[in-house]
Amino acid sequence: MFETFAALAQGMATSFKHLFMKPVTIQYPEEKRQVHERFKGRHVLNRYDNGLEKCIGCALCAAACPADAIFVEAAENSDDERYSPGERFASTYEINLLRCIFCGYCEDACPTEAITLEHNYELSFYDREGAIYTKDMLIVDVPVNGRSTPQPVEPGAFNRAIPEMEDPK
Amino acid sequence: MIAEKYAKEIEGIIARYPSKKSAVLPLMHLAQREYGYTSESAMKEVASILDLDPTQVLSLAGFYTMFYEEPVGKYVLEICNDLACALRGADEFVDMACKKLDITPEETTDDGLFTIKTVMCLGACDRAPMLQCNMSFEENLNEEKFDALLGRLRAEATAGTPSFSVAEKMASYAVKDGA
Amino acid sequence: MSDLVTLTIDGTELSVPKGTRVADAAKSVGIDIPVFCHHPKLEPVGACRMCLVEIGMPMRDRATGEPMLNEDGSPKINFGRGLQTSCTAVVGEGMVVHTDTEAVTDVRGTLLEFQLVNHPLDCPICDKGGECPLQNLVMDHGKMESRVYFEDKRRSDKHVSLGDLIFLDRERCIQCARCIRFQDEVADDRVLQFHNRGVNLEIVTMSDPGFDSYWSGNTTDICPVGALTTADFRFGARPWEMTPSASICSQCAVGCNMTVNTRREARSGGKPVIKRILPRQNEAVNELWLCDKGRFTHDYVASPERLTSPMMRKDGELVAVSWDEALNAAAEGLQAASSVAGLAGQRLSNEDYFMLQKLFRKGLKSGNLDVNNRQIGGGDVVAQVGIAAGSDLQQLGKGDAILVVASDLHEEAPLWWLRVKQAADRGAALVVINGRSTRLSSHATHNLQADSGDIVATVRQLVSMAKVETDGTGALDAAAETLITANNLVAFYGYEGLSYEETESLAKALANLLLIQMDGEPHVGRMNNGLIPVWPYANTQGAWDMGIHPALLPSYKAAKMTGMDAVAMFAGAADGSLDALYVVGADPIGDGWMADRGKLGLLIVQELFMTKTAVTADIIFPAQSWAERDGTFTNGERRVQRYYPAIRPAGDSRPDWQILSQLGERVGAGKAETVTSLVFRSLTKAARQYKGMDYRSLGQVEAQWPVVGGDDRYYGGNAFANTAGLGKQWAAVAESKAVKQFEMDDAVSSREDGLLLINAASLYTAGTLIDKSAVLAPRMAKITLTINPVDATAYEDGDTLMVRTDRVTVQATAVVSDDVMVGTAVLRGVKAMNGTAVARLSKIKE
Repeated sequence: MFETFAALAQGMATSFKHLFMKPVTIQYPEEKRQVHERFKGRHVLNRYDNGLEKCIGCALCAAACPADAIFVEAAENSDDERYSPGERFASTYEINLLRCIFCGYCEDACPTEAITLEHNYELSFYDREGAIYTKDMLIVDVPVNGRSTPQPVEPGAFNRAIPEMEDPK
Repeated sequence: MIAEKYAKEIEGIIARYPSKKSAVLPLMHLAQREYGYTSESAMKEVASILDLDPTQVLSLAGFYTMFYEEPVGKYVLEICNDLACALRGADEFVDMACKKLDITPEETTDDGLFTIKTVMCLGACDRAPMLQCNMSFEENLNEEKFDALLGRLRAEATAGTPSFSVAEKMASYAVKDGA
Repeated sequence: MSDLVTLTIDGTELSVPKGTRVADAAKSVGIDIPVFCHHPKLEPVGACRMCLVEIGMPMRDRATGEPMLNEDGSPKINFGRGLQTSCTAVVGEGMVVHTDTEAVTDVRGTLLEFQLVNHPLDCPICDKGGECPLQNLVMDHGKMESRVYFEDKRRSDKHVSLGDLIFLDRERCIQCARCIRFQDEVADDRVLQFHNRGVNLEIVTMSDPGFDSYWSGNTTDICPVGALTTADFRFGARPWEMTPSASICSQCAVGCNMTVNTRREARSGGKPVIKRILPRQNEAVNELWLCDKGRFTHDYVASPERLTSPMMRKDGELVAVSWDEALNAAAEGLQAASSVAGLAGQRLSNEDYFMLQKLFRKGLKSGNLDVNNRQIGGGDVVAQVGIAAGSDLQQLGKGDAILVVASDLHEEAPLWWLRVKQAADRGAALVVINGRSTRLSSHATHNLQADSGDIVATVRQLVSMAKVETDGTGALDAAAETLITANNLVAFYGYEGLSYEETESLAKALANLLLIQMDGEPHVGRMNNGLIPVWPYANTQGAWDMGIHPALLPSYKAAKMTGMDAVAMFAGAADGSLDALYVVGADPIGDGWMADRGKLGLLIVQELFMTKTAVTADIIFPAQSWAERDGTFTNGERRVQRYYPAIRPAGDSRPDWQILSQLGERVGAGKAETVTSLVFRSLTKAARQYKGMDYRSLGQVEAQWPVVGGDDRYYGGNAFANTAGLGKQWAAVAESKAVKQFEMDDAVSSREDGLLLINAASLYTAGTLIDKSAVLAPRMAKITLTINPVDATAYEDGDTLMVRTDRVTVQATAVVSDDVMVGTAVLRGVKAMNGTAVARLSKIKE
């Protein structure tokens, strides 16, 4: 008899305690949830400080992608119209976010840290085509002191596709 | 055009070899003697005389340090800095020589007199540091000896003594070859 | 057999021919010895040291010469002190090779570390990444750490244009010299060389234009790293993204096997496009090579100018209509016409030709069928004494002879030039008869410069000399002696400076030469003997076989009623005696055969492009290009080879055979065919020589040497292993029964007085298909007229001349040279023109 009441009281106590706890629900979309630093949200294509794109169009992300969600087409840079350091840049870059499973393999495969999975989780589309994110949608804004691409650069200054080959710190 | 100018000499050189293309080195020496260096047009001339592709001549000019693909000064100071010479201080000697003439290797002084080149083994390792200047060896060099050499060459140049130009030296070799 | 050597590699005992290199011997039993500089088609150099292995020979007692034995009775093996390069070491009797000892493994790792000292790690952007021998070998044998500093890597030019077709990345070059050796030994265009030495060694070219060779693309295939890349594929796609489809080149009569690499592209709206073309191994046809024309002339397939829907002329304008409407109108028009004729190009498939002749002979009851431009005759002769089935030019060597008449193989059929030249290098006697010296002349044992008009006479004289015992004096006698006493004899004939009739009698004369019996055996009907016509197009042979001929049915049966030939058709169109003309894959107006459509009541054109003929047509059917459909081509060696679809059809186009059979159904030629393989099946019933062939047997393969493909890209470069069929040669009549000597007509010289104009072929001559290739555009042949100094008194080198003959009027740059004979002038860079013509020249004032 006593044991029954004890269990009941214990259960009620838990409920009662929760009355005074901070609520888990938030007022989305006015309020947005803070995600963890290593949360894997929508991809972005990064730029160097001078505005050049980090992506060199190597398509290793597409090769690594288990869902075949990424499509890359490359073309050749010139010093008059430079998109990225080195010879190759991505002329087309598309990610089908309906296919993407946010595993982050693309990020791992990327030799220039051009593609990273960031914190944007607001992914909703009206149709299937809208789920295909193109390069313009994925690429980050031009940094404050940088220039947009393509940009004319001094000849021979950016002839390395992978500028720094340092070991990860 | 060397083909016309030295028709007889070329004929003689080619006659020395069982196969026409073997005459390529003497003809390149001839072209260098004529033009001061093996220019692109010179290489094409040699190629057309011997029915070679110009690329084959270019390849030889690239392989041998004795052929100059760029215009050079009146005196080419070819300093050996191969391993054995380097052990006897050839690298320091090159630095010193460059500083003295205010140029870097492969460059020519503004007055057009001297060009410094670093070259592969010249076969005088025991007397390093050494250099070859227009086909003559200068051995066991140090700063004083180098100064003396420069002085001598400058004096020669001002005096206009024609005894020591690449062209002359080459000519003497060519004659010896032909004899 | 005494010419076999037995050795043991890693415990496997094998017997290989004497002279085989150890690396090749190992490869033949599936033991991979890694190589860089070694290529089975090139002379070994032992430059890269990648293939070092332990090689031991049995020890012999110096005094007695007896083999020394171990205690257990096995022979004592002396491994020497160091490792040996297996690419240069020749096998020896009793040799023992270890490829997997610690010493070997260790040296491989060290060597790869050494190769990577200066090799940039830009695999992510390298076109070779993914099919790179260096990458593969490092993954398999490399040490994963390097003892050298990354910062000390040699830096060099990454974008060096070697001519317009090939780009060089100097950093990536590992100095194996495969490209240089290929150009020297195989292509004989010594336009690539090393420059400088040691760490500064680099590839250079100084030819004009840079890398001036018809074979440049092959160097990118055999480059074991990504140092050499082609202009059309540079940064185009990653190798693993592409789908390979087996194909056959449609550019010349050799019929090179190739692989079309395709990939979906954004620029094509997600449809597959051709990214590059690579050779596909067929040792009897093209080995591992492709000429640049075959490799780069594919842009036309994706051209926006392609016809995409059927069109009909309504109120004077060509408007797009449905297939049914166009087909019905065509059927009605053809049936209502008082006379009909069919004209076909020479690049169609066998199936297309078969359906075309069925449409005309069965449906329209007309024998008026011909190909657009008959340049070479003697297809019927070839059917009798053509090169025997199973032949392989690669097997010709010492004691054999090759005769090349009136053809510049280097320009007309580059792969044959290559193989003939290599046979000559191996010791085969080469006799060249032509009106001028060609690239082949310098390799010839006997180079007979026949006065162009008299090539046939020269050959006939040669034949008559060969028939009698001669004392062997005189160039012609000596050549006849060489040819007739050869173990095997192959004769090529072309049309340079000859009229159609002259090529016919040339074919007969050569057949008679081959039929001369020496020790009771003629040079026909057995392997590596016979006649090869240098047809001007990829499937001229198929047109002959399928009866696209006014007087011949399929399988060379004489037609009961002779129809109009092309010349009669053109005349008929002009004077109104021909009512309706059906043109398939040809452009008679653009080629100058017809001035305009004349008085034709109906002109139907089936084409890829809006040609000059198509513009004036009443009905246009859009056809599919060779890459969009399947079919078979028959090459000059009568090898029937199958090609496969690579990309999706342009617009609403249909394959030629389908259009023709759907039209045939409407005019009563039988039910329309639905599948290419079934067309081929019915074709084999009509064309008897194709009996026994079907798509399955044409798709069969057998093991070939060298082994290429799979993980073994380093052994054969990027050449694809052939998994889609080697094709089959049909047997000439001489292989089953004796053929009699051909009756020769009396020699008639068609020569006229005046400056004789000879049209010499150039590989890159402007034409409907090659014009669309952006890569080859800078290499297109300039129109030149070569004249002997004696004839060129009024002209100088570089003058612009107006050249007029009865048929052509062109502007050409004069080249004054004694390469051509007095009284003749050689015109290059214009579309083929038959025979000789008297040219009138005039100088154009600047």
